[in-house]
Amino acid sequence: MSEPLRHPLRRIVIAGGGTAGWMAAAALSRLCANGTTRVTLVESEEIGTVGVGEATIPPIKTFNAMLGIDEDAFLAATQGTFKLGIAFEGWHREGESYLHPFGAYGADIEGVKFHQIWLKLRAMGIPVPLADFNMAEVAARMGRFDRPTGDPRSALSQLDYAFHFDAGLYAAFLRRHAEARGVERLEGRIGQVLLHGETGFIEALRLEDGRLIDGDLFIDCTGFRALLIEGALGSGFEDWSHWLPCDRAVAVPCARAGGAAGPILPYTRSTARAAGWQWRIPLQHRTGNGMVYCSRYWSDDEASGTLLANLDAEPTGEPRLLRFTTGMRKQPWVKNCVALGLASGFMEPLESTSIHLVQIGISKLLALLPDRSFPAHERAEYNRLTAIQWAQIRDFLILHYKQNARGDAAFWQECAAMPVPETLERKIALFAGTGRLFRYDDELFTDANWTAVMTGQGIIPQAHDPLADALDGAALRDMTARMADAFRRTARAMPFHADFIARHCAA
Amino acid sequence: MANSALAAAEGGHPGAGEGAQAPVGSVVIVGGGTAGWMTAAALANRLAGLPVTITLVESDEIGTVGVGEATVPHIRFFNARLGIDEADFMRRTNATFKLGIEFVNWGRKGDSYIHPFGAHGEPIEGVAFHHIWARYRRAGGTEPIEAFSLPVLAARENRFAHPAPDPASLLSTYSYAYQFDAALYAAYLRSYAEKRGVRRIEGRVIAVDQDGESGQVRRLTLDDGREIGGELFVDCSGFRGLLIEQTLKTGYADWSHWLPCNRAVAVPCASAGPLSPYTRATALDAGWQWRIPLQHRTGNGHVYCSSYISDEAAAETLLARLDGAPQAEPRFLRFLTGKRHRQWNRNVVAIGLSAGFLEPLESTSIHLIQLGIGFLMDLFPTREWDPMLAREYNRLMDLEYERVRDFLILHYHATERADTPFWNYVRTMRVPDSLAERMTAFRERGIVVNYRDGMFLDASWVAVYAGQGIVPRRSDPRAEGLSDAGLFIKLASLREDYARMAGELPQQARFLEMIGARMDMRAPEGVA
Amino acid sequence: MAAFGSGAFGALPRSGPAERVAISGGGLCGWLAACLLARHLPHLRIVVHPASADEETRPDRSLGVPLAAEVLLPGDLEHIAAAGLRGGDLIRHCRGSFMLGTALTGWRAAGGPAFVPFGEIGAPLGPVPFHQIVAAARARGHDVNMANYALGALCAQTGRFAPPRSDDASVLSTLSFGLAVESDALRRLLRDDALAHGVQHGEAVADPASLCAAADLVIDARGAPEAWSENGGEQGGEDWSALMPFDRALVAKRAEPGTPPPPPPPYAHLSALAEGWQGFVPLAGAMTETLVFAAAAPPAEVTGALPEAHRLAPGRSAAAWQGAIVRMGAAAQQHDPVAGLQLHLALADVVRLIALFPANADCAVEAAEYNRQWRERSDCAFDYTVLRLARNGAKGAVWDRLRAAALPHRTAYRHDLYAANGRIALHDGEVFETPGWVMQFEALGIRPRRPDALAMTVPDMAITAHFEAIRKAMLAGVAKLPPHGAVLAEVCA
Repeated sequence: MSEPLRHPLRRIVIAGGGTAGWMAAAALSRLCANGTTRVTLVESEEIGTVGVGEATIPPIKTFNAMLGIDEDAFLAATQGTFKLGIAFEGWHREGESYLHPFGAYGADIEGVKFHQIWLKLRAMGIPVPLADFNMAEVAARMGRFDRPTGDPRSALSQLDYAFHFDAGLYAAFLRRHAEARGVERLEGRIGQVLLHGETGFIEALRLEDGRLIDGDLFIDCTGFRALLIEGALGSGFEDWSHWLPCDRAVAVPCARAGGAAGPILPYTRSTARAAGWQWRIPLQHRTGNGMVYCSRYWSDDEASGTLLANLDAEPTGEPRLLRFTTGMRKQPWVKNCVALGLASGFMEPLESTSIHLVQIGISKLLALLPDRSFPAHERAEYNRLTAIQWAQIRDFLILHYKQNARGDAAFWQECAAMPVPETLERKIALFAGTGRLFRYDDELFTDANWTAVMTGQGIIPQAHDPLADALDGAALRDMTARMADAFRRTARAMPFHADFIARHCAA
Repeated sequence: MANSALAAAEGGHPGAGEGAQAPVGSVVIVGGGTAGWMTAAALANRLAGLPVTITLVESDEIGTVGVGEATVPHIRFFNARLGIDEADFMRRTNATFKLGIEFVNWGRKGDSYIHPFGAHGEPIEGVAFHHIWARYRRAGGTEPIEAFSLPVLAARENRFAHPAPDPASLLSTYSYAYQFDAALYAAYLRSYAEKRGVRRIEGRVIAVDQDGESGQVRRLTLDDGREIGGELFVDCSGFRGLLIEQTLKTGYADWSHWLPCNRAVAVPCASAGPLSPYTRATALDAGWQWRIPLQHRTGNGHVYCSSYISDEAAAETLLARLDGAPQAEPRFLRFLTGKRHRQWNRNVVAIGLSAGFLEPLESTSIHLIQLGIGFLMDLFPTREWDPMLAREYNRLMDLEYERVRDFLILHYHATERADTPFWNYVRTMRVPDSLAERMTAFRERGIVVNYRDGMFLDASWVAVYAGQGIVPRRSDPRAEGLSDAGLFIKLASLREDYARMAGELPQQARFLEMIGARMDMRAPEGVA
Repeated sequence: MAAFGSGAFGALPRSGPAERVAISGGGLCGWLAACLLARHLPHLRIVVHPASADEETRPDRSLGVPLAAEVLLPGDLEHIAAAGLRGGDLIRHCRGSFMLGTALTGWRAAGGPAFVPFGEIGAPLGPVPFHQIVAAARARGHDVNMANYALGALCAQTGRFAPPRSDDASVLSTLSFGLAVESDALRRLLRDDALAHGVQHGEAVADPASLCAAADLVIDARGAPEAWSENGGEQGGEDWSALMPFDRALVAKRAEPGTPPPPPPPYAHLSALAEGWQGFVPLAGAMTETLVFAAAAPPAEVTGALPEAHRLAPGRSAAAWQGAIVRMGAAAQQHDPVAGLQLHLALADVVRLIALFPANADCAVEAAEYNRQWRERSDCAFDYTVLRLARNGAKGAVWDRLRAAALPHRTAYRHDLYAANGRIALHDGEVFETPGWVMQFEALGIRPRRPDALAMTVPDMAITAHFEAIRKAMLAGVAKLPPHGAVLAEVCA
C-alpha cells in the first residue's frame, strides 16, 4: 500500500444538486466514513434541474454496483425500465432504421473478429442480418428482457443492458443514499465564489443568505451556468457546434401507450426529423420525449409542434425548452475545482452519454483524488484523459450526422457535407475499406458500437479481412447459423419487458 | 340380347339377376380425336376379355382440335396402365419432356416464374417451405421461391433426366409430363385400340334416336345410312356435344365471366434454340400465348377474348411472336369456358370438350379426359343403370372442374397488371367465394387450403401464388423460432445444392437420345 | 436498413405476438391441448384454469360423457407420439391395452357379430378394390367374411399381437393398432407432461371469456353446454338429438377377477340393445362399460340407476373458433359417445390449432380456416355415427324410429352410393378411410346391391386364388406373433 496522503481533504463541497451533484455526492460519500473528510452539497430547491426521462449506457451498472445499490430497488424508486440499445429511425435514409444494441456481435472465430465473419458470409452471397447476432438486439426487437446469466456457454451471457429512469427520482434516490452515509446537504443559493487572493483557489462559497461554505475541493455541478469553473475560474469553452450543430431541445412527457397494461419497449428510440431528432424514452409510468434541433433551421414552435405531433400518447405536461452549445470546458479541472455534468460541457444525448460523462468524471476524480497540495500533474492528467474521452464520444456522435443519405432537408445536407475531425475520417476510411476497427486508449465505444452505427448508417466495407478466407466456409455457415438460432431461441424464452418489470421492480 | 336385358332393367325386376347386373355390352364412342381415342384405348385395355363391343365413330372430314398438347404428370399413369413404352410413344408423337410451365408477364409485366411439377424446398422444423420462404422474403431475402426447385432450375437450363427412385435424393423431388403432337397421340392410341378389337367406323352422324320412355340414346344414323346401336354412348364429339347437348339438351354452366377468353388461334412454327422441357404461357394484352416445344417443331397459340381484340389482330400478334417460321396457316377456334351441367346424362357420358372447356393454361384438357375415363371405369354401368352411378360421376367431375376453374382464375386475378382493359377486368372481377377465401388465407397467413380431391396440390397453388407476387404477410409461428441469419444460411445451402444437382442433369435433347426417344433416330412410320 | 430486415421501430406494435394461452377446464381435453401445444410451440405461455375450484373431484366432462376408458385411434397415436409421448408410457401409466378394432353385436338383422378392424382389409386385385372383389365373389354365390382378410381381425381372434417393427417387410408391417387407456390416468399423464414443459396452473375461472384480458387465445375445454340450439344455446348451434337420441349414459369400471387377471382382449365391443347400446373397452386388469340410452325410454334394468346417469346432449356449436376463444372437445361438439371418437376429434382440434396457431391477435384468417376444417371433420364424424344409429338392423322401437327418420342429404348419399355399387364417397376431413366405412357398413348389414361392374370381369379362379394368397400370408404372419398379454407384460416390466 502506498503511503497515506499527508494532507487529506478536510471538506469537499459540491455546488449544485441534480443528477450530477448527487451522483458525485453518493460516490464521495464513502470518504465520510474515515472521519477526516466532510462532504457537503449545496443546492437550492428554487433552481430546477434539467434531467427528465434519462437513458443510460451499461457502465452505469458499475457505478451503481460501486455504491452497493440494489438494482430492483433502484428501478422501483425511479420508475426505471431496462434498455437494450437505441433504435435509430431515418438516420441513414427516411424509412430505414437500425438498432444500436449493447453487447457484442456473435463470437470471434479462430481470432477472426465476428464482423469480419459476417462480411465473409456476405461475400459468399449470404446477406445475413448482423442484427441476429447480438443478444440484446434480438431480445429488443421482440420486446423482451431478461438479466444475463454468468454461464458463458449460454447465449444469455452475451446480453448487456442499461436503464431508462426518471433523472429527478434518481437524484432523490442517490440523495437518500448519500445522506445516509453522512453527506451533509445545505439548502441555499450560491451568491458568490470566494477565491484565494494569491493562489486563485476557491476558498469558500457565499450563499445568498450570507452563510460561508469553505472547503478544500469544490465540485461544480451548477449546470450550464458553470458558476465556479467558468464564472469564477474562467476555464474557457471549446465550441463544437460546427460539428454538432443542434443547439436547442424541447422536452415533454407523455402517457404510457396502451395504459398500465401496455407494452414497454426495452430500448430508446431516436428518430431523425427535418432539422434534428426526436427521442423517446419509455419509463414505467410514462414516456419521456424530446426534440433536439438546430435553431438555424427550425423555430422553437416548429420543433415543439413536430414533437407534439409525434407522440405515442397524450402529453402529460407542457413542453420545456432548453438552449445549449455543444462543446466542452477547456479545462474541466481548474485549481481546486472540478466540473461535472453540464458545467463541464454538453453533448446531445444521442447516445445517452450525459450520465456517463458524469460517471467518468467521478471515477477519474476518485482515481486522482488529490490531497490539499493539489499536484498540478494530477490535474493535467485528469484534463488530458477527459479531453480524449469527450473527443471520442464527439466523433461517434458526428458519425451519425455525417453519414446520412437523407438529402431531403438543408440541415441534413449540411451535415453530410461538413468536414469532420481527422480522427473520425480515418476511422471511417479504415472501416469502409476492409472493416478494420481499432480501439484507442480506453475508448468507451467498442468495435460492436462502431460496427452497429457504421453499418446502420450505410457503410458496408468493400472487402473483408483476408484471415476470414482461411476459415472453412461450410463450418462457418454452420457455426453462425447455430449462433443466430441460439440467440433467437433464448430471446423467445425471455419474458416480455413489461412482465419482467412487473415481476421484479414495479414502481 | 341387349334389348331384353334393358327391358328387364327398365321393368325393374330385381330378379333379373345376372342380366341386369352384367356390365353394359356395347359402348359407342362418338368422335375420334384425343378424347375419343384415349377413351377407346382405355376401355379396350380395361374391358379386355368381357363380352363388350367398343365402337368408335369418326369422320375424317371433321377436323380435331388438338395441336401441340401439353400434359400433366398423371398422363404417365394412363400410359403405364395401357402398357405403353415411353421411348416408343415419345418417338411416335414427337414428344418432349415437360417439367412445368413458365408464366411470363402474369403477375406483372416483366415477371417470369415456372410452375414446376414438384415441390419447392423442403420443410424446416416441421414447417412447410413456403412459410420459411415467406419469412425469408420478409427478412430481405431476394430469391424467388423457384430458386429452391430442382425442376425449375433444370428447366431453365433445358436439362432433363428421369427423377431418381431414391426418396432421399434431391433428384426425386420432381415429376414430369410430356408435350406431344395430339394428333399423333390420337393416332398412336388408335392403333393401340384397333389392335385390341375396337371397331372404327368412318362416317358422320346425321341422326340420333332416343328411347321414347327413358330418353336414353338408342342408335346413331350415319350419313351413308348405316345405323349403330349401343347401350353406353361416350360423347367425344367436341365443343358441339352432339349427344350430350344437341340430343339430350343437358345445358351448360357458363363461366366466361370468370374466364373471359373465348377464342384461340393456333399455328405451328419451326423450332429454334435448345429443346425446352417446359411449356410457356405468356400473358398478352387481351389473353395469352402458348408455346409448346415438340421435337420437330413448336406449337403456338393465342388464347384471347374477342371483346378486347379482333381475330386479325390476335393472329397478327401471334405471328409476330413466333420463334421460327410458321409452318401452316393460323387456325381459329371458338369456345365458351364452362362445363356441362351433367357430364353423365342418361346413357351418355361426355368426355373431352363436349364435357366442358377450360382453357389450356395449366394443360388440364387431357387430364380432365383422363379423369372422366377413370371415373367411368370405377362407375361402369350395368344394364340396370343405377342412377347413383351418374350422380357420383357428376359429383366427382363437378368438383374437379370447379377446382381447376378456381386455379385458372387465380392466374388472371392475382395480378397487378392494369395496363389493358382486359387485365383491368380480370384483376377487379368478383371471383368465386371458394377462390376468394383461398387467396385470403394464403395472403394473410400462408395457408394453402387443401382438399382431398382436386388435381392441383399444395405445391401448385404455392407456385402460382408466389410466382404472381403474393408473399404471405404472416407465417406459421413455428417458423418464427428460426433466426433470419440461420434462415439465410440454410436457404443458401439449399439453393446451392439444387443448383448443383440441376447442373449435373443432361440437356433434354441429349437425354432423349440416351433413352432412344429422339424422333430422328429411327425413321418414324406413318408420321407425316 | 431494409436489406438487413430491420422492422420499423416507429410505432408500438398494434398487437404483440400471440403467445399467452389460457385453457379453461383442466379435464382430459384441456390437458391434452396444454401438453401438445407446449410440446410443439415452446414459445407459448400456457396456463390451465380449472372451471371450478372443486373440478378435480367432479367427473371429467371435457369430452362429454366421462368415459372410464378412452381409445386412441391409430392415427391419433402417431400425433401423441409426435409430441414425444411414447406408447410404452401410455401402456404403463394408463393401464393401456392394444386395440385392433371393435366387435359389433346386434347391429345387423342377420349374420351375427361383426368385427370392424383398424387398417386395411385384404388387398386390391389390380385396379379393383378388395371390397369390390368380395362383392363380386358374393354375387357369384360365395360366402365371404371380410374380417377373415383383415390382419387386425385375425390378431384379435387369436389373441396374438405385437406392434410391427419398422424393419419388418412382411404383411405384418401393415398392422394398424390403437390403444385403450384409462381416461383419468391419461389426463394425469398429459397434465404431468404439460407441467414439465412449462405449463402453469391458474386459478379457477367460471367464464372463459373473462380470461381474454390476460391471454391472446383462450381454449374453452369445459365440456358441453346444456343445449346447442338457439333456445338456451348459442345462435346457430345445431341440436342433433333427432338422429342421436340417446341422452343418458352410465359408466362403470370393474376389476377383472384373478391374480394375475387375464390379459385384456385387444378390441372394444359395441353391442346394440333394444333401448340403446352398450360399449366395453378393456384395460389391463379391468373392464370398462358404458350404457347409453334415452331417459324417456330407459332399459328396464337401469331404472334404479337413472339419477346416476350422465346427461348428454348431442349437437355442435355454430363455429368452434369465435374471436379469441376456441372451443374444443365437447365444448365444440358432442357425438353419440363411442369411446375414442370425442378424443379423436379433440386431438384433431389441437393438431389443427398448432398448424394454424395465430402469429398475433389478428387471427380471423386462421379462425376461418380452422372452422372450415373443424366443420368438415365434424360432418364426417356425424355421418359415420348417424349411419350406425339410423341405418342398422338392430331390433327395438328406437331403432325403427331412427331408420324411418330422414337423413341429411350428404349422410344419405353416402349410404345410397354404397348400397348401389359399393363405392365410398370420401370427403375432406374423414375420420375413417374406405376400409373403416366398408367394415362399418358390413357390421350394419348393408351390402351393395351389386358389385362394381368391372369387378365382375375378374375370373372366379383369380378371385379364389387372390383370397387364398392373402389369407395364407396373413395366417403365417399372425402365427409368428406372441400372445397379446405377453407383449403387454413385457412393456410393463
